[in-house]
Amino acid sequence: MTKLIHLTINDKPYDVAVAANQTLADLLRDQLRLTGLKKGCEMGDCGSCTVIMDGKAVNSCLVLAMQADGRAITTIEGLQTDDGLHSVQKAFVEKGAIQCGFCSPGMILSAKSLLDKNPSPDETQIRAAIAGNLCRCTGYQKIIEAIQSVKR
Amino acid sequence: MLLPRFEFHEPKTLDEACQIMAAFGVKAKLIAGGTDLMVNMKKKLVTPSHVVSIGRLEELKTTENADTVVKIGACFTVADLAESAAINQTLSALGAGARALGTPLVRNLATIGGNLGSARPAADLPPSLMAYGARVVLASSKGKREVALDGFFVGPGFTEIQPDEILSEVHVNRPPAGAGAGYVNLGIRKAQDCNLVNVASFLALDSDGKTIKDARIVMGCVGPTPLLSPEAEKLLIGEKPSPSLFEKASLAAMGDSCPIDDFRGCGEYKRDMIGVLTRRTLAIALDEAQNRH
Repeated sequence: MTKLIHLTINDKPYDVAVAANQTLADLLRDQLRLTGLKKGCEMGDCGSCTVIMDGKAVNSCLVLAMQADGRAITTIEGLQTDDGLHSVQKAFVEKGAIQCGFCSPGMILSAKSLLDKNPSPDETQIRAAIAGNLCRCTGYQKIIEAIQSVKR
Repeated sequence: MLLPRFEFHEPKTLDEACQIMAAFGVKAKLIAGGTDLMVNMKKKLVTPSHVVSIGRLEELKTTENADTVVKIGACFTVADLAESAAINQTLSALGAGARALGTPLVRNLATIGGNLGSARPAADLPPSLMAYGARVVLASSKGKREVALDGFFVGPGFTEIQPDEILSEVHVNRPPAGAGAGYVNLGIRKAQDCNLVNVASFLALDSDGKTIKDARIVMGCVGPTPLLSPEAEKLLIGEKPSPSLFEKASLAAMGDSCPIDDFRGCGEYKRDMIGVLTRRTLAIALDEAQNRH
């Protein structure tokens, strides 16, 4: 079973044919080549597939592509503008919050959705906001420092 | 990780969804947040030939905070529950359960209906809802029926929901003045963890504010379904709240629990923790009850 769906990805409209048993993560990575998001556990545990869907950070491995019909998706590729990297991306680079980089796209999107709601979070709020994103390099301290350093 | 092949349905109304469930029955599975079903389909534990998406039915996403009953649509997300000022004020223990569930990413998808319907013995929302005496509405093409949560859970993963039915709403009586509740969960980690033990307690004080009129204690992870503790409730009702009374009630709750040894912890430890969490949740419930008097 395939169906044509219409969705907005990084502010651009897309019409794509998707299979019923295709996840949003697979649609974005394999079909649309937005390979910034990663597939780690594919069980909703690691957060490396994080995208922002209709303003909320979610695990794209747990969403069917057909459930994303009509929605607005932001992936890590959507953060950069003509002026350069997004402030959260810059902070991650400057503070050395990126080690192997596998968790970074998800970490940055979770951080962005926190900062969009709460521009000056304390450490506890930051830790709670990135609780769904695992860094197996265990570089959490630098990640927290980076999120705290974002200029507002 | 591949998903099994299935047909995808996205009905526009609850009535239409009920007709689809009536037509396909056990061959169909409902999906809303997908945080449980997607994982089970990837593991090939369930292989439905039809998946029916109800997560975007507006009629299942509303809440109604009336004078006597709080009605919560089945597709209200756990993140919305955690952040709702109205829910946290009226049903604080439910708010605590919602904040304890999964991770921010999971809470943005997961729904109250899914957390009840998936019937995991360690789930975060059933204990407080049972403590509040909540009921669920099950809709089908034949009509609607209301089932008390006390008799809703049948076993791990099994509930009273029939193959043609859809859990559409959760109804909770607004706790009266002088009533309070508490929920505490214990896991190895603070997030992204299956609970080792979780407990919710509900207390209602008499109009004089000195005697316990009603009490409910619900224990998760220590039986095939969340368990009530009738012995602890018997001890509490009619008595004046005090630390020594709560100590006795927590021993009674330990006696009513039925934990198993598994890789998360041994039964003896879980039973001891039932005692600790019962005491703590009773203290939270009493504090709220006295403040609301």
